[in-house]
Amino acid sequence: MSILSLRNVHKNFGITPIIRGIDLDVEEGEKHAIIGPNGAGKSTLFHLISGRYGVSEGSIAFKGQQIQNKQPYEINRLGLARSFQVTNIFPRLNVFENIRCALLWSEGYKYSFWQLLDRQKRLNEKTEQVIAQIGLEKRAFYPAGELAYAQQRALELGIAVASGAELIMLDEPVAGMSHSEAENAVALIRKITAGKTLIMVEHDMSIVFDLADRISVLVYGEVIATDVPENIRGNSRVQEAYLGEVVSDA
Amino acid sequence: MIKKLTPWIGYGIALLILPQLFDSVLGISLLNQLAIAIVFALSYNMLLGQGGMLSFGHAVYYGLGGFLAVHALIKIEYEEMYFSIIYIPFIGGLSGLIAALFIGSFSTHKAGTVFAMISLGIAELVAASSLILESFFGGEAGISGDRTYGPPFFGIEFFQDSEIYYIAAVWVFIATLFMYLFTKTPAGRLANAVRDNPERAEFIGYSARWVRFISFCASGFFAGIAGGLFALNYEFLTSENLNAVTSGRVLLMAYIGGLGYFIGPIIGAVVLTLMNTLLSNYTELWLLYVGVMFVLTVMFLPRGFAGFIMMHQLAWTQGTLNQLFKPYLITALPAGVFVLATVALIELSHAEETLHFLGMPLNPESAISWSIGLILATAAFYATRRTLPQLRDAWDTANTISEEEGESS
Repeated sequence: MSILSLRNVHKNFGITPIIRGIDLDVEEGEKHAIIGPNGAGKSTLFHLISGRYGVSEGSIAFKGQQIQNKQPYEINRLGLARSFQVTNIFPRLNVFENIRCALLWSEGYKYSFWQLLDRQKRLNEKTEQVIAQIGLEKRAFYPAGELAYAQQRALELGIAVASGAELIMLDEPVAGMSHSEAENAVALIRKITAGKTLIMVEHDMSIVFDLADRISVLVYGEVIATDVPENIRGNSRVQEAYLGEVVSDA
Repeated sequence: MIKKLTPWIGYGIALLILPQLFDSVLGISLLNQLAIAIVFALSYNMLLGQGGMLSFGHAVYYGLGGFLAVHALIKIEYEEMYFSIIYIPFIGGLSGLIAALFIGSFSTHKAGTVFAMISLGIAELVAASSLILESFFGGEAGISGDRTYGPPFFGIEFFQDSEIYYIAAVWVFIATLFMYLFTKTPAGRLANAVRDNPERAEFIGYSARWVRFISFCASGFFAGIAGGLFALNYEFLTSENLNAVTSGRVLLMAYIGGLGYFIGPIIGAVVLTLMNTLLSNYTELWLLYVGVMFVLTVMFLPRGFAGFIMMHQLAWTQGTLNQLFKPYLITALPAGVFVLATVALIELSHAEETLHFLGMPLNPESAISWSIGLILATAAFYATRRTLPQLRDAWDTANTISEEEGESS
């Protein structure tokens, strides 16, 4: 059963069409990668699904509910969490507070101003578990803005998965990392998204083919192919779009 | 637990002991002003420091709280209401809260420039209306009440300012405690998150606008309490209490004290209130000095006085703080001379006849007064500059992280 379905989704900025009629189904539990050349609209597609932008036309359904023009926080509360291409954390809060804030809604605290956070044992234990998962125990009380880049990316992942969302969307999670950092990051992604649905935009083809169950190729705002990695590799339209890059990279 | 409670016990004791130490009329009047300023400045920091909302109109909630409180005093006087005046600040708080509920409903959509401009517009609007709606605000003369008509509270009838002080002290303590606890709740912590990154907050399930709105209302409530305390202390309010000058002063307090720290606005409120009342007894130019201090703070201590104190935390925990004592003293001596000589020159340029500065007669007509001032200021300036390298070295040594401390978490 598909957890996320896009039907004829369009997005125009002014008169410029960026997304030009996308139909896409993401199955529950699968790891779905979205690839495509620069400017194909991958990040825009992420913003449409997560609610940062409204669609110009078409519909997006998440777990059977229409979400195309909902606010980001409403979509998040349904169980869809995302990370960002550019590190997007709470720089003046420490690591612990970053993760704890990300847990608050799903733990049912809403906008409470009558409960003291330090007294919430379960919440704090959960926070510590997430921090242990992303391997930042030693940095738990450092301001997030002072962490090293790879650590900030790990925190970014932690914020995305903390709430226990069923669908995780990662926008270029290993961009800008060294080879060994990227390897660690992939292992981390595998670990924390186990049993969940993952949609990922990534440029590094070795990671995409390693991690993804299915791949969608986005070119000029259209999905030209959605298939398992082997078939994508052999797809002539994809090779054309990438000018042979896919073959040599993989 | 004990460690957490110590500052609060100290705070409570300080509030109780201060009126014994400064029991003159001036002393008590000053303490009452301090109490009001502390609550007002802390409430402002809920907006700017904690929530990232730069408001140019915080006096609106303070002033409205004060006006409603005076109206309540009048009602008590005419026996239309019957309760002890010790609850008056709560009336002020509710008024501030209601005003904030209304204004916040549209002003908290965005932070940043949009919020700042709306706050400025509302401030001007309310200040202008306060002169027009005479029946409520009393026009230029303002309105006044009398706090002594209410039912006595354990026999106290509040003829004395010192009696008001103890009521104010209790309110200050409670208000400070609740504002502190607010920072420890989900809503308070999310205010920091939204301040840091409103967009990200939306992707972890929170509407940045709602988070801001809650802080805004809480801030309005506590500003109203401060206004209510003002009403109790002075028994009258004018449009000056809700105009831009008052809004500007609370911004200065919070900023000079340090926005990033809970205690910052308290320090700022104390420093500015002291300058306001004490310095103005000595010189007409006190506002100039406040202005210069503000500019210098923004330039050299962007995290305020509290930030300056907190800079020493590492040295303190490492036990190297005492190494800094002598270097500080060496710099402070010429720097102090420089400040005094500069102040003397400024006063000279303003004076029309001989003035006495630290017991020395200074004559604006005399070349000797001018040249001594100039020479002292210049010499002290260069002497201060020469001491800076030793201070910097001492600072670096004291703040070098020792081996064991390197990997503490």
